[in-house]
Amino acid sequence: MKKTIMMSLALLGSLVAADYSAVIESPNASKLIEKDLLAPAKVYTMPKGCITTDADAIARGAFMFHNLNGGKVKGNPPKGLAKKNADDKPKQYGNCVACHNIEDAEGAGNIGPDLTSYNAMFMATGVRDNQFVYQKIADARVDNVNTHMTINLTTKLFNEREICDITSYIVSPK
Amino acid sequence: MKTGIKIALSLALLSSLSFGGEQFAMSDSDRAMYAEMLENNPADIMVANGEQLLGNLGGEAAFAKYLGVSEDKLPEYIAGFPRYIEKFKMVVGIDQVLQAMMHDAGEKPFKLKSSDMFDMLAYTKSLANGVKSNIDIDANQHMKDAYALGQKTFDTKRGGRGLSCLSCHAPAVIGSVLRTQPLPDLSSKGVAVAATWPAYRMTKSSLRTLQRRFQGCMKNALLKVIPIGSPEMVALEVYLTKQAEGTEIAIPGLKR
Ligand code: HEC
Ligand code: HEC
Repeated sequence: MKKTIMMSLALLGSLVAADYSAVIESPNASKLIEKDLLAPAKVYTMPKGCITTDADAIARGAFMFHNLNGGKVKGNPPKGLAKKNADDKPKQYGNCVACHNIEDAEGAGNIGPDLTSYNAMFMATGVRDNQFVYQKIADARVDNVNTHMTINLTTKLFNEREICDITSYIVSPK
Repeated sequence: MKTGIKIALSLALLSSLSFGGEQFAMSDSDRAMYAEMLENNPADIMVANGEQLLGNLGGEAAFAKYLGVSEDKLPEYIAGFPRYIEKFKMVVGIDQVLQAMMHDAGEKPFKLKSSDMFDMLAYTKSLANGVKSNIDIDANQHMKDAYALGQKTFDTKRGGRGLSCLSCHAPAVIGSVLRTQPLPDLSSKGVAVAATWPAYRMTKSSLRTLQRRFQGCMKNALLKVIPIGSPEMVALEVYLTKQAEGTEIAIPGLKR
């Protein structure tokens, strides 16, 4: 008896043109993507005292350049740089070496230009200046809309000070 | 026949893997392991599990019947997924069809992200091995929309580093190296990626699907990971499958 009711219910279910939206998983992703979108390109001006020869700042810049995130690194980061964020998640670094070669890089990529001898080739010759490098790291879309480079300040991946540290590292004579 | 295809594909893969320069691609011992695995893809047992799972639903014949195609047309039909299916009112992947089929058979559908579903999807798609990928993105407006959504999803910059799929998979950067990884070509003939997933991933020691692979790139590049089966994920699959058009399906693939 019970069985026949169940069977006829099942039959009914298949006759009433089924609504498969409850059967087939098709979760919404557009909200996730919406919240994750990149803000428009932005022009930045270096804050005062941004570029420095301070060894600690340059060490932090180098560390962020060569590493992916705090969860992956062994040992301690340089003074003034955390391994974790306030929420206890690993802090993300630049992983710039994924795309750029530079002095002492290990396993560098070549999607972006080689930044080796940057000071001698681009700074000393006046081809580039600090503000250019700062802007490039902060938001590279300003002079190249379709850039394949990461966006580091507009995304709030880094704060101004951190962009300064990274810039100081790149432009420093090595 | 089936092995012939596999070997041809593998050669293409091997040469594409050495393309970025030997020091980047694979060590000699990795290469030896890869060659060994080509002979004996570890995913074969997972595909066999998939065969059994589909068998529980009546197998190939039942799947053909469920889709309303004859058994001899089935491989070609499978080679055209994702497609719009009127009964479901959406563009679906094979895994989603399998969910509906399980439901209609009175069973609880596997989750799209479950390994049983990965296995069953791999087996089902392997029924089309040797058939040329034949997605028709002009079949109807739904497919056109899905293709457009796929392209948009591919090109949209987002996430912690402001990257899009295109940042690393644009024609201009193919073959460049991202931290020791040569960037693969997702679209050119012969290496067409969509025809070779589901695949065994050596670095993950498991069978992964195309949408699961997308999630891997999203996670690594700090793009918010979106769920398997979402319209955007299916659309990304449509977009890349279109680029694989005309390439022979060869499942399971073997990937680094
Ligand atoms: C996904 C690849 C990628 C990553 C990661 C990346 N870059 Fe770049 N970078 C590029 C590309 C491509 C260019 C050249 C195109 C352009 O200038 O937009 C570039 C250009 C640059 C330049 C300009 C060089 C010049 O003088 O023209 C600097 C400086 C730079 N990157 C620094 C960095 C730093 C610092 C990081 C990490 C915080 C980083 N990049 C991460 C791809 C990348
Ligand atoms: C920061 C760079 C980067 C971004 C961004 C990126 N990918 Fe990838 N992708 C890679 C690299 C590197 C590989 C190859 C890794 C390997 O060999 O294991 C890869 C591999 C793949 C593969 C497998 C190719 C094969 O051989 O079968 C697919 C599919 C893919 N990516 C799709 C995507 C999609 C879709 C997105 C966007 C959601 C995306 N990728 C974003 C770097 C990236």
